[in-house]
Amino acid sequence: MIKTFTPNDVIRYVYKETSAEENKLIAYTLLTDTDLRTFYEEILGIKQEISKIMREPSDKVLGQILTYSREFQTNRP
Amino acid sequence: MEKSLVSDGALVSLYQNGNEKAFELLVKRHKSKVYTAIYLIVKDSYIAEDLLQDTFIKAITTIKTNRYNEEGKFLPWIVRIAHNLAIDYFRKEKRYPTVILEDGSNVFNTLNFSEDSVESVQIKMETHEKLKEMIQKLPEQQKEVLLMRHYADMSFQEIAEATGVSINTALGRMRYALINLRKQMTKYNINYDQNIYPK
Repeated sequence: MIKTFTPNDVIRYVYKETSAEENKLIAYTLLTDTDLRTFYEEILGIKQEISKIMREPSDKVLGQILTYSREFQTNRP
Repeated sequence: MEKSLVSDGALVSLYQNGNEKAFELLVKRHKSKVYTAIYLIVKDSYIAEDLLQDTFIKAITTIKTNRYNEEGKFLPWIVRIAHNLAIDYFRKEKRYPTVILEDGSNVFNTLNFSEDSVESVQIKMETHEKLKEMIQKLPEQQKEVLLMRHYADMSFQEIAEATGVSINTALGRMRYALINLRKQMTKYNINYDQNIYPK
């Protein structure tokens, strides 16, 4: 029986949450279903762009957090 | 190299036993993801730093009073704390969006999420900065799933359980989030690498 994959399945595939068996079937479907392949390529591209977004907090705030932790320990009864 | 092999769960245990170095390692390991998740909600680096501090204070208190029981799931746990604090901030400021559609596509273009700060006005219009803005403007439910998947490393099943919806709903929200971002990227003519089809 041929399994039909949905965009939700493609999202699970892009985020590596599909089983090995599903991977094979989805990869095959992407070769033959151009709409799903287009969706896959676009979603994968956006996922990769999002993955590059990262901001760093200042050293000052990190220092305050670590100081709070040390003092919490010191002040414990 | 070896340090990265120490699991979060092991570090939390060490920290519970008074090892401050273990906590420092946890902070270093996860600071960027937690901070970025907050920043993408509040869009102000000063507020994001305040909330980051509040997040870790809550974590410190919970762990040091032996109320932590997430068993190795430190990152999803702390990102959830961060997310809740960021959402509370908006509720207190009365800037929380009131119209949230399951689809989200209508809301996306008109959502008046918050006043632009001086900082956001100065934001450079390069791809990542623009993408950050787009994520910030996503409807809350879509943004929540996206942040949990990308910054808390939660699976869609875990997100579904954490948010009290079915996995299909969680996946649907992610799908609309990504479709919305794609639409906006196309609108602003932002290109991403399209030569990514797997080998």
